[in-house]
Amino acid sequence: MPSLKDLKIRIDSVKSTRKITKAMQMVAAAKLRKAQEAAERGRPYAEKMREIVSNLASSVKNIAGDNKFLRDGSDCKKFLLIVATAERGLCGGFNSSIVKLAKSRIAELASQNKEVKILTIGKKGREQLNREFEKLFIGHVDLSNEKNITIDTARKISMDIISRFENGEYEVAEIFYNKFASVISQIPSSYKLLPVSLNEKKSDASNVSFNFEPDEDEILNEIIPKSIATSIFSVLQENAASEQGSRMAAMDNATRNAGEMIDKLTIDFNRSRQAAITNELIEIISGAEAL
Amino acid sequence: MTNKFELSIISAESKVFEGKVESILVPGMVGDFLVLSNHAPCISSIRPGFLEFSEGTSDKQRYFVSGGIIEIINNMVSVLVDSAVARDKLAKEDITNLISEVNDRLTAADTINKDDLGLRKNDLEEALKQA
Repeated sequence: MPSLKDLKIRIDSVKSTRKITKAMQMVAAAKLRKAQEAAERGRPYAEKMREIVSNLASSVKNIAGDNKFLRDGSDCKKFLLIVATAERGLCGGFNSSIVKLAKSRIAELASQNKEVKILTIGKKGREQLNREFEKLFIGHVDLSNEKNITIDTARKISMDIISRFENGEYEVAEIFYNKFASVISQIPSSYKLLPVSLNEKKSDASNVSFNFEPDEDEILNEIIPKSIATSIFSVLQENAASEQGSRMAAMDNATRNAGEMIDKLTIDFNRSRQAAITNELIEIISGAEAL
Repeated sequence: MTNKFELSIISAESKVFEGKVESILVPGMVGDFLVLSNHAPCISSIRPGFLEFSEGTSDKQRYFVSGGIIEIINNMVSVLVDSAVARDKLAKEDITNLISEVNDRLTAADTINKDDLGLRKNDLEEALKQA
């Protein structure tokens, strides 16, 4: 049985932990709102971009194979997995769920004798993957200095990825991130960045034949890097929102747990105190009786 | 009354403009072109420069765009740009910054991209004169 003083110290320490988790929860809530707003502002662009690319891809079907970005990815050997995680921990299962998904994909590809390379965005994913797959790493993007994700960051990442693609370092690129479903639910998902697949969903416009200016190939070479940058941008934004949502939920739980712990410890403390008092009384009484 | 059509200018970080317009003057990659209603479906890339459109009133609105894509389909025109700044809010420094950025990349880039970047720089310098 811990002494009264020990219990008192425990209670105080849990109380201060609760204060911290409470504060982190509130900070996460504020950041989540910002991240969600940013993601919403970026959505029209991303949607339109996807639409244009799918329109393009379906209307240039006749020249498919000519463009380096529009290869059919079925018989590729070299895979690049881009694992986007957070820079910080203390956000529940956020990072490990992405890593878990990526790991299962690595295992799947390895069993098919494919060559796998890994590029990580965010410190936490690198730390977790480094233990097992150090040899597969070809790059890492550090976001710790980026307070808000800008399109420029995404563009830099996409330029890196595209130049690696052009150098033949890999043939298929997949990106892993957490999709923001709601504040309490984030779904680890993956998305194929490259090559752009031709049989993407058709929009109503797919039957229209477009005029291209200057020409199809040049437009494709212009648009596809842009669309990749946009995809990465929206992935990073979703990830940022998910991270904050996840952290908020985790900290909310932690705050509640701390509260429960304090209640329990307080009861223990009161019981011990009462026991001590009773003990003392018994001693006095039995002492008096002995006289 | 002339026919109007939908125009939306969207940058990566926000929606810049959305509404009905009469005409747009676009700085296309191979030359400026004017879009009126019932234009044939078309996709074109945009070089850095000034995009001009009128909502029907006599005064035209001008935006500086730093390159992007335009899609024209069924009287719906979507302009996707890296960034767009309204003419009256535009500071010359913005363009100067872009030019110096291109310059940095010019010195760093391999020879294949030099032509593209050089053209880009020319476009930007042209835009700077107009600003």
